[in-house]
Amino acid sequence: MDAYEIDQIARLIAALPPAPVGWVTAAQELPQARRSLDILIERAAADAELKARLVADLESALAESGIAPTPRNLDVVRQRLRSV
Amino acid sequence: MLTDAEIVAACRSGDAEAWNLLVERFSRYIYAISVQGFRFSLHDAEDVFQDVFTKVYEQLPRLRDDSAVRPWIAQLTRRTCIDRMRSQSREGASVDEEAVEPIDLEDVVAMLDEALAIRAGLETLPDNCREILDRFFARDESYRTIADALALPAGTIASRISRCLDMLKSVLEDSDVPLRPVAG
Repeated sequence: MDAYEIDQIARLIAALPPAPVGWVTAAQELPQARRSLDILIERAAADAELKARLVADLESALAESGIAPTPRNLDVVRQRLRSV
Repeated sequence: MLTDAEIVAACRSGDAEAWNLLVERFSRYIYAISVQGFRFSLHDAEDVFQDVFTKVYEQLPRLRDDSAVRPWIAQLTRRTCIDRMRSQSREGASVDEEAVEPIDLEDVVAMLDEALAIRAGLETLPDNCREILDRFFARDESYRTIADALALPAGTIASRISRCLDMLKSVLEDSDVPLRPVAG
């Protein structure tokens, strides 16, 4: 067996360490988070009071709806609220 | 093991498990491009990581060739990293000059492409081999830590690693994965 090849394989395995578990979990939960946002925006479109609450204090309103008020989620909702 | 194209097709049809697989398959790759290719801090790398997967989720329905998902993700990651550096420059943040002009980015991405091919071979090994090679090389765990985690005698870890590497080499040779010398 060629030691260099084995060494090369070992280096290439080492080149891809795992991303932190929390990052991976957050990315995997993205579709669910988006569905929750979709529902919230639909409700806001039909409920002026909810929309006003979202505009006034988006972070708290998201948290109350069980949606993590991450910068990304805040951006998405702000953008979509403009067209509601 | 599902191919990239099969995973992409399943994601498009709303298969939640396929999305989990896609994230699992490419999470290390995206992480490595931002940290090794662009030398981002963990904080910046995390933002890039989530931004890239957000873009993948939003744009996947428009991907023309399902089998080209890897180069597409690589490109998305590079663009996201560059956008982030530009944004930090505009905001006057202290930016590492070397990081602004990543050295040998093409080489780093080419090496990571090979590493991804090796990982595909790794995924075909029995669980015990995959686990031991990943823990030792990718997670940088000691023989003792691996032995404790897998309930194995510490004295057998080195020989197991050697046997599993041999097995992986055979798998790679059978699958014609092209290897080239790696610098460093």
